[in-house]
Amino acid sequence: MQAVYESTVFVYGVILLIIYALLAIMSFVAIKIYRRRSSLASYENMLGSPLTPGISVIAPAYNEGLSIIQNVRSLLTLNYPKFEVVLVNDGSTDNSLLQLIEAFEMEKVDYAYSIKIRCQKIKGVYKSRNSAYSRLIVIDKVNGKSKADASNAGINVASYDYFVCTDVDCILSKDTLLKLIKPVTEEPSKRVIAAGATLRIANSCDIEEGVILRMRPPRKLLPRFQEMEYIRAFVLGKMGWSLINCVPNVSGGLGLFDKEVAIKAGGYDAQSFGEDMELMVRMSRYAYDNQIDYAIRYIPETLCWTEAPNTVKIFMRQRTRWARGLAQLMYAHKGMLFNPRYGKAGWVLMPYNFFFELLAPLVELTGIVYYIVQLCRGEINPEYAILLLVFVYMYSIMITTIAILWDQLAFRHYKSFREVLLLCTTPFLEFLLYHPMIVLFSIRGYYYFLTGKKHSWGNMQRQGFGNTTVQRKVAVQQ
Amino acid sequence: MERILIIDDNDIVQMVLQKILVREGYAVDIATNGKEGLELIDRENYDLIITDLMMPYANGFEIISKIRQHPKGERAKIIIISAVTQEHSITEGFQLGADDYLKKPITGKELVIRVKRLLDAKRATTNIHV
Amino acid sequence: MFKDFTSYLQDNNVLTALYYYFLDLPLVIEVACVFILVALSATLLAYGSILVRRYRGYRQDKKETDLLPVIDQLLTEHVVLNEGLADNVPIDDIELPIEKFRTKTLRNPANRQLLIDRIVNYKKSFAGSIGDLLRRLYLELELDKVSFRKMKSVKWNRKVQGMIELTDMDMSISDVNILPLTNSKNRELRAEARNAYIKLSKNEPFKFFDVVTEPLLMWDQIELFKTITTTEEIAIPKFARWVTYSPNKSIVSFCLKLIVHYNQQDAAHAVIKLLDNKDHNLRADAINCLGKLRCEEAEPHLVEIYYSQPLNCQLEILKAIGRMDTGNQIQFLRHEFLHSSDFDIRKNAAKSLIKTRATPKSLVDELIETGTAENKLILRHCMNPLIKF
Repeated sequence: MQAVYESTVFVYGVILLIIYALLAIMSFVAIKIYRRRSSLASYENMLGSPLTPGISVIAPAYNEGLSIIQNVRSLLTLNYPKFEVVLVNDGSTDNSLLQLIEAFEMEKVDYAYSIKIRCQKIKGVYKSRNSAYSRLIVIDKVNGKSKADASNAGINVASYDYFVCTDVDCILSKDTLLKLIKPVTEEPSKRVIAAGATLRIANSCDIEEGVILRMRPPRKLLPRFQEMEYIRAFVLGKMGWSLINCVPNVSGGLGLFDKEVAIKAGGYDAQSFGEDMELMVRMSRYAYDNQIDYAIRYIPETLCWTEAPNTVKIFMRQRTRWARGLAQLMYAHKGMLFNPRYGKAGWVLMPYNFFFELLAPLVELTGIVYYIVQLCRGEINPEYAILLLVFVYMYSIMITTIAILWDQLAFRHYKSFREVLLLCTTPFLEFLLYHPMIVLFSIRGYYYFLTGKKHSWGNMQRQGFGNTTVQRKVAVQQ
Repeated sequence: MERILIIDDNDIVQMVLQKILVREGYAVDIATNGKEGLELIDRENYDLIITDLMMPYANGFEIISKIRQHPKGERAKIIIISAVTQEHSITEGFQLGADDYLKKPITGKELVIRVKRLLDAKRATTNIHV
Repeated sequence: MFKDFTSYLQDNNVLTALYYYFLDLPLVIEVACVFILVALSATLLAYGSILVRRYRGYRQDKKETDLLPVIDQLLTEHVVLNEGLADNVPIDDIELPIEKFRTKTLRNPANRQLLIDRIVNYKKSFAGSIGDLLRRLYLELELDKVSFRKMKSVKWNRKVQGMIELTDMDMSISDVNILPLTNSKNRELRAEARNAYIKLSKNEPFKFFDVVTEPLLMWDQIELFKTITTTEEIAIPKFARWVTYSPNKSIVSFCLKLIVHYNQQDAAHAVIKLLDNKDHNLRADAINCLGKLRCEEAEPHLVEIYYSQPLNCQLEILKAIGRMDTGNQIQFLRHEFLHSSDFDIRKNAAKSLIKTRATPKSLVDELIETGTAENKLILRHCMNPLIKF
């Protein structure tokens, strides 16, 4: 029994290490290809062309009154010839709607739409009398207690064939739409159902009226850990996966989607705690079921900055929620696991998610407990144990540093070397401080997943989108 | 001397337009984004404003609409210079009150002629009013 | 416990002792040791690379901030504000102080590239005589040779870069050099070569339309469209030719867009024939094209085939009727608006009904008064000038 456990964990660990090494190599290749192409591409051609596809930018907002005007204004300055901004006011209890009506000279219009995916009741649709804001459309709806529900309302009203989903408090780069649509327009044979880009933490950046003036790694440790994690997850992880067309998820902070496929797949799931990944899996599943040869593309460029939780309490809530979403997702789509019908998604993506995302915290926790027990019983040689630990520690630092290196090679973000150095020190502490938190919070999420069903949904859901945003606002103000 | 404001985030366009127009004898100011542009309009009096459409902080359409609502900007002439050539953008620009629309790439001579003509027209109407 | 290392030292030197000591460790530990070393050196290497990268980037930035103002000064003073331009002197007779651009710094390859990029950028923003003078400067500084050399490179991205520079500067590239590239296996190279060919070929710029077999991607279409519609000397052919003969769907669909752009009314006949095509996406494109051409003679035919079409074509037919605005199909639109079960059909029927100037106001009023709540909403939606779609 013991031998079986030990060898399983050993094999598990070795596979994980190999996957990371492969991702490092694959992402390097993918980034190199991207860089070559984008340095030669002239995005201006799209600006003057009647062939450029239209994009609806969907931004759900709940009680964002503090910054909503500025954020909408900033969305309206996106560099793209054919787009609309669909702002979804998800039953805010503050004066968001009034502010919008006043600032953008809006009035309620008779807007006809058909509900293609389920969402809470839409109370009204507003357009501006001033044609300077003709690209803006505001939806006022009954609060659906989730970002998913609000996004669905936006998708129902959106007029173009592609939509970009974002958060109203995310800061987008001016060329976001041009850069996200490019992979869609240059795909020779597959249908690109989604495209994503790198997200980063806005916490310590210099921001002026919704424009990033200067990027900085967060000064506080917790957000800095997250910046490091985002770089690793996006630049190394998703870019690596994108090389073999196995992108697991397009982040909820910024992603471009094929509207037709998203609607046919059923839109966002308001019951899900990880609605972005859930939609991606369902869209992939839909594509396989309907013989659509699809692709999900990723670009390494940072196009979106988001405010990261900077207290442990809010961070815990976020990660618990994500873990719960992952557990839900794997449970709901367990039929895809090793199912030949779902090709790469069934053989690579879902197994990876299952074994190395979902099970990882559990394996780790049991491993540590086992380790300590064996150590106390004197079954393990402490020197060997330490050596193995040092190895794992060094390896994780190496992978993270490589991710930072790839990012630096490609974009040379941040102004000074000192800032990069500061970021490079974070992986040394990750093992001791950040990683244990993630493991614990994930297990907490799984626990809620297992027990939560017995409680009422509504009760749990109030921890969702709405509340976190408010909490986050408060946290930011402190 | 007649005063012109150029609002464009492209450094080459800014610089070259400024040099060409200064040589023609105008006083030229530059704003690199919508926000700066609106601040300058607030503070100064311009006879003519040349603006791009896609810029940080505030896009060209918003700027034109703001200028037209502004007591000082009501009579100023506005030229849009943009790489965006879709019909609906052009009509939208004119609807908001732009007086002319130049597509990039620009020819220097055409620009000078159009600027002159607009300013002549402005002078003529001002004289009548006086 | 680790074994005592000293026992290995007895009759060996330190290195061999270490080696034997290492060999006697359990396999897992051996592997761990090797990997710790690998990980450690990789991390250190990464730090080194970041440092080098930052330093190089810093140097590059510094060089640009030093050099760009100098280049800008030269370009604005001698090209943009050149006296000759104001006096309408022919471009080739304008005095251009070339030697001022032949400084030692600008001869350095990296700096020269900076100059090329800058000239190309100026050319992109300025057409007319300024553009022509920039081109003359580029030629007299023999920068075209630099770009041509890039085209001869083995790396595809260098080739593309050279080609882009040459096309942006309106240089002619001989067919011999470019035709083979239009069939290259590399997508970017192929697309750029075609773009260059269309822009620069004197004889038959659209030759490759006849032979291309693989699909023309949207990205490439956008670039080609821009080149075709902005190059001045290009002889615009009758695109109906490819609509009729090309077996390549993407070429046909691209030509439909060009027909609309150039308003080639005489293409209508060829486009109407396309309505029998098996591919419904192509049919939808054809219907869209007919609507934008306002080809009234096609309208009865469109209505005739309407009920046998899939949804996307039906929607295009409704839109086309609105664009043609003949006033002959009011009853048809009314019928679709009232009786279709599909929301998008009803909305587009209503939109075209409102768009049709001949629609009597009494009819709209009647529809609003007698309609269901949703139909009322649709009509009001279509009548609201604030809503575009």
